[in-house]
Amino acid sequence: MSTIHSKNAEIFNKDRAKTTWHDQTFWALREKHDNMAKQLPEWEELRSHASDIKRHTITHLADYLEKFSANLESRGVIVHWAADASEFNETVLDILKSHNVSKMVKSKSMLTEECEMNPYLEKHGIDVVETDLGERILQLLHQKPSHIVVPASHLKREEVGRMFEKEGISKEIGNYDPTYLTRCARYSLRKEFMDAGAGMTGCNFGVADTGDVVVCTNEGNADMSTSMPKLHIVAMGIEKLVPDYDSLAVFHRLLCRCGTGQPTTSFTSHFRQARPGAEMHLVIVDNGRSDMIADKEHWQTLKCIRCGACMNTCPVYRRSGGYSYTYFIPGPIGVNLGMFHDPQKHCENLSACSLCLSCDNVCPAEVAPGSQIYLWRQSLEALGKANKMKKIMSLGMSALFNNPPLYNAALKFAPLANMVPDSFTNLGHLNPWGVGHSNPEFAKKSFRSLWREGLK
Amino acid sequence: MNKEEFLNKLRANTTQQFDMPDMNINGIKYEDTVAQFISMTETSGGKVVNAKKDDDLNAIIRAAYPDAKVIASNVSGIDASLNPDTVAEAQDLNGTDVGVVNGEVGVAENACVWVPQTMKEKSVCFISENLVIILHKSCIVDNMHNAYKAIRMTDYGFGCFISGPSKTADIEQSLVMGAQAARSVTIILID
Amino acid sequence: MKVGLFIPCYVDALYPEAGVATYKLLKHFGVDVSYPEKQTCCGQPMGNAGFERMAKPLARKFDDMFMDFDYVVAPSASCAAYVKVFYPHILEGEHECVSSKKIMDIVEFLHDVLKISSLPGSFNHVVSVHNSCHGVRELGLSSPSELNVPQFNKIIDLLKLIDGITIKEPERKDECCGFGGMFSVEETAVSIRMGEDKIERHMATGAEYVTGPDSSCLMHMAGIAKRENKNIKFVHVSQILAAGL
Repeated sequence: MSTIHSKNAEIFNKDRAKTTWHDQTFWALREKHDNMAKQLPEWEELRSHASDIKRHTITHLADYLEKFSANLESRGVIVHWAADASEFNETVLDILKSHNVSKMVKSKSMLTEECEMNPYLEKHGIDVVETDLGERILQLLHQKPSHIVVPASHLKREEVGRMFEKEGISKEIGNYDPTYLTRCARYSLRKEFMDAGAGMTGCNFGVADTGDVVVCTNEGNADMSTSMPKLHIVAMGIEKLVPDYDSLAVFHRLLCRCGTGQPTTSFTSHFRQARPGAEMHLVIVDNGRSDMIADKEHWQTLKCIRCGACMNTCPVYRRSGGYSYTYFIPGPIGVNLGMFHDPQKHCENLSACSLCLSCDNVCPAEVAPGSQIYLWRQSLEALGKANKMKKIMSLGMSALFNNPPLYNAALKFAPLANMVPDSFTNLGHLNPWGVGHSNPEFAKKSFRSLWREGLK
Repeated sequence: MNKEEFLNKLRANTTQQFDMPDMNINGIKYEDTVAQFISMTETSGGKVVNAKKDDDLNAIIRAAYPDAKVIASNVSGIDASLNPDTVAEAQDLNGTDVGVVNGEVGVAENACVWVPQTMKEKSVCFISENLVIILHKSCIVDNMHNAYKAIRMTDYGFGCFISGPSKTADIEQSLVMGAQAARSVTIILID
Repeated sequence: MKVGLFIPCYVDALYPEAGVATYKLLKHFGVDVSYPEKQTCCGQPMGNAGFERMAKPLARKFDDMFMDFDYVVAPSASCAAYVKVFYPHILEGEHECVSSKKIMDIVEFLHDVLKISSLPGSFNHVVSVHNSCHGVRELGLSSPSELNVPQFNKIIDLLKLIDGITIKEPERKDECCGFGGMFSVEETAVSIRMGEDKIERHMATGAEYVTGPDSSCLMHMAGIAKRENKNIKFVHVSQILAAGL
């Protein structure tokens, strides 16, 4: 009864030391989150406000998008509307072609991952250079992010260092010091910023009231990407809107504290218009989000601000890694988003949750990704994706528990199961419980027998 | 897709609506806001120099960055060899050792300083190896709620909260200062 | 005060001693306890596996069976939480769920309703407290470590009433042990690894016993500990609290 996730997780867990390291890496981020939460007396108030503001904004999205886009257009920003990933990709390519751009630097954007923009642009002759260090490393290694905030955290310094040597980015052979490697990347990327024809950023928040596109980075790469090229393209999902600066303050305070456990990112950049002599384009993307709004059970998933806190706290993510999931966003929120994106394809991720609900508690916007996973599991049968073995077990339990006399009889004979030697049940494919557990011993007398015999 | 179709679909799919919450949030306040700002700046990897009203800012900058050869600034009174208002291209500021800019609002809870664009080429804020931000002590507020009430945007339509130097922990979570933008940040706090 | 005892299926079959201890505790404090014999399971295993519809007849029966009690008390935080959190939704459209308002874990009941301030007996051992996920995050037996809320732990408050006991908590005091019902047989590798990590942290406290309000977590960890010959014992918190009864 294994799923794709559980099979991948099993392979991941074969390297015990690396699993330990991975778990500790992300637990450290979880602890930093806790530290941050405890330093602000108003922490829980901020979370409930964030949730309420998002609920309001999402259910008034069309109005806010009109206001937001009108504000930007009044200052000369060109706004595009993309219904799906292919419209988004085509729009970006059109903008680049019409400006004769052959190289674009970009800062991190999960939306462009979602739309698989890089391969599309590359196919059409555009050189796309990721400028977030983690993303750049992954691009050169031809890998995907394993986490949405710290995308290359699954890699060891040696893996990065060897690749930098091969690419000619680092010159000192065998020097895998992170400071040295970061310097080498800085030098290499600096050249890219100088001659790129366009810079692309994502958008952490769009402020409807003022028409600000707000981008948060620690490296300053969004600013580098937009300070030199004469063309700035923003990729923005519709759910990124907030009404005004007062709302933005709430999210600004939560985003980084939850994600990396810092009180803020180093740079929070507000773009309202193109810089002098340049042009700014904004592509607003739906790609399934408007359908999410119509989903009565799961629409609040749109409140997510992509901080990554749910991944860091998830005991399953920490011990199975980002690549064990079939959707490009891993962890609790990724399990949910995958179900929206393509339930047939991504429902196998639903097993990756022990329902511990820690993610519900760290989520700054109270999306409750763990509780939502329980609900998604209820839709598996209708999708024709219920696991047969699990269904048989559940039907068996159901028959037993709905029939008290049968249940009584079963209890009476249960202790006989103790006679089966442990070694017989240590056969993983027949009895998954026996993979790592000794069987529990049935009591000689059940509670109900003891009750009848005079406990009362 | 055209805007109307795009928004119509959204409207059609929205079946219930929720109100905005009351926004009276009790943001944290500090006993000594300036001391908190200084301590947070240091935590974020920045340095703080306290200056008296009539101190020579150029001397302070030279003392902080004695090896600097190229200083870029359009702040009046600052000795600079490059001016972001008059360079032909943003790229011309590459190689700047120290960029000097004005900050308008400081935030005690997280060391953010609001730096609105007041120069033709904002690249000076990011491309310089080291960044000096001049900030008046009286412009420091407790938290982001107050900060977002206090900031103002210039006609350039760009501004950035900067908190310490550019940093990354993308290689094995090791914190390294100086990823793509300034490797060090010094805040000169003026009385 | 009439209390209905809910002894979840696996406690009934595997850990009747936790049920007996719960009964003794309630009797000791003069509570009028009875045990409706037609009870079986709350339906959580099916619900968590994605078959909530199969939990529905169980929820219906459960709600009828415990209708006339003032409280329903169970020695299992997770099962109590399932009734409390999920039953209202499962029974939606049928009738208003009453058991969800009456259900309590034994720890919660002793602490919040009876507000007990003393217990006879002693337990001269070092115990490490296992804060089970649903106890922490659904029933509120202790303050979740992720939240900025006042710190409390009802399990520890009660254990402190026992003489001679030394109470510890592991590092990562409320991280999941990896049981999760069907999770443990569907995601065996991660589940076992989580269990091993949890056992290790409990053992690092120097504890002789791991105790908690959820026999399911204890069952999971005990199964791993036995397979791997770890020198640590597992006991439901009600058994320690009833040590002198």
